[in-house]
Amino acid sequence: MSDVKERSPNQLLLIGIIGGLLGIYLTYLLPFAGDKIGGNPAIVLRTIAPTFGALGGICAVVWGADAVRRVAKYGLGTGVPSIGQIAMGMGIIAAMFGLAIVKTIVLAGPIVALVTASILGFIVGWFAQNVIKMKIPVMIRCMTEIAASGTIIIIGFSAAVAGNFEFANIVTLVFDNGIILAVFWVGAVAMLHPFNACLGPDEKQKRLLYLAGSTGAITMAIIGIAATMTLGTSGVITLVLGIGLWIIFYKKFWDEVYHDASSVVGTGLIPKTEA
Amino acid sequence: MVAIDPTLLTNILLIGLSGTLICLAVHFIPVGGAPAAMAQATGIGTGTVELAAGSGLVGLITAAYMYTNVENAPMALILAAGAVGSMVMLASTMFSGGLIYAYGVAVPFASAQVKKDPITGDRQDTYISKGTQGQGLPTICFVSGIVGAALGGIGGALIYYVLVGIYGQLISATSAAAVAGVFTLGVFYVNAVVPSYGVGGTIEGVHDPKFRRVVGKDIFTSFFVSILCGLLAVLIAGGISP
Repeated sequence: MSDVKERSPNQLLLIGIIGGLLGIYLTYLLPFAGDKIGGNPAIVLRTIAPTFGALGGICAVVWGADAVRRVAKYGLGTGVPSIGQIAMGMGIIAAMFGLAIVKTIVLAGPIVALVTASILGFIVGWFAQNVIKMKIPVMIRCMTEIAASGTIIIIGFSAAVAGNFEFANIVTLVFDNGIILAVFWVGAVAMLHPFNACLGPDEKQKRLLYLAGSTGAITMAIIGIAATMTLGTSGVITLVLGIGLWIIFYKKFWDEVYHDASSVVGTGLIPKTEA
Repeated sequence: MVAIDPTLLTNILLIGLSGTLICLAVHFIPVGGAPAAMAQATGIGTGTVELAAGSGLVGLITAAYMYTNVENAPMALILAAGAVGSMVMLASTMFSGGLIYAYGVAVPFASAQVKKDPITGDRQDTYISKGTQGQGLPTICFVSGIVGAALGGIGGALIYYVLVGIYGQLISATSAAAVAGVFTLGVFYVNAVVPSYGVGGTIEGVHDPKFRRVVGKDIFTSFFVSILCGLLAVLIAGGISP
């Protein structure tokens, strides 16, 4: 494993935070810019804006999946899914708090949520390390990271469904109709599945990151279906783009699997009688 | 900014208390994890979080149903609805799991942690297969699980009851229920995972020596984290405009 060049945690952290926040903010800023220009571009920008939220969500999924990988490597004793669920649990609390508390200063919402999630994650990580005594050196850092990525995933995909990240808007379009549960669960699986599927002695980061991209993209497609109910055309764009990205990332993952395996052979059907 | 008034503090404390109840609940539920799925350890063959959350969320649904359909329902009624919902869910899980262990895998139910079942007094150690940590769900595990489910259901219902009361005054009933429900979900997952790290994935129930060893520090952690969640939940109300 050591001879393979890996992406550093900091690099992925930057991809997650910058990519995630950029996507989330574009859902708000593009329609705003469109209104300034006016005419047809305004309609186009307004239609494509929500899709960027989902793209930001994918960046956070990739980051979160790598954070899960780093901490779950030590063996949590409870299985990898538990860490995805706690990430989403902390993420959703922080997301709701961040988006609601800022009231009219809407733009500050995602940042406040991100900071809140980091603090919450840090505290849970600190307790896990020092009170429960899990003896995992990267626990505090990774718990902070997964909580932060969890909150970006929630806000990003919610923004893709609601059109922007104003809390009142998200409550009507994401919470009231129950889509938030899809965001919560599918987002959690997107984040925990890559390591859960790839773990083992021959686990490689590159393969895992492509799989994370594909789970993020399939989440985007599912969110696209939800968004067609709430936003119409924008949802269709999210759906189609999500499926496209999924095919690309899955093919990459597929290639990596073939590359890493010593050989891939067909075993044929199980013989009817024992030889 | 909201001033510190007694109702607010009570609400935060109640959410902290419910988080602690959920944490305690996890310790009561016989979780066997992967070894139990192969009938090599006592308990239900899945993870702590899945069981605690599965039963707790059913409790949340029954509690929410009671809240919506009974006008001015007293707190006790909501909590009871949550507890019963959770208990039914976990009992049916353990019962169907037990059927599979008994008639599918064909193992005698025995606990590796105690020599005699504290409830029935039946001898346990002679029935344990070699190289395993017990199998199936002995009576004590079943009872312990039911108690745990009740605690978890009460915890989930209590958070929901407190939050829906706060948000209900600010936004429409549907939105309040949705926001409160999702927040409860978040607190529930955090408090189900934290103790599962404490017990290290598997626990047989209240009779397991592990119970006494870890319950203290887990509860301390959960209480602190839940109080923090409670604080955030109450502050959200300040940001929701009617």
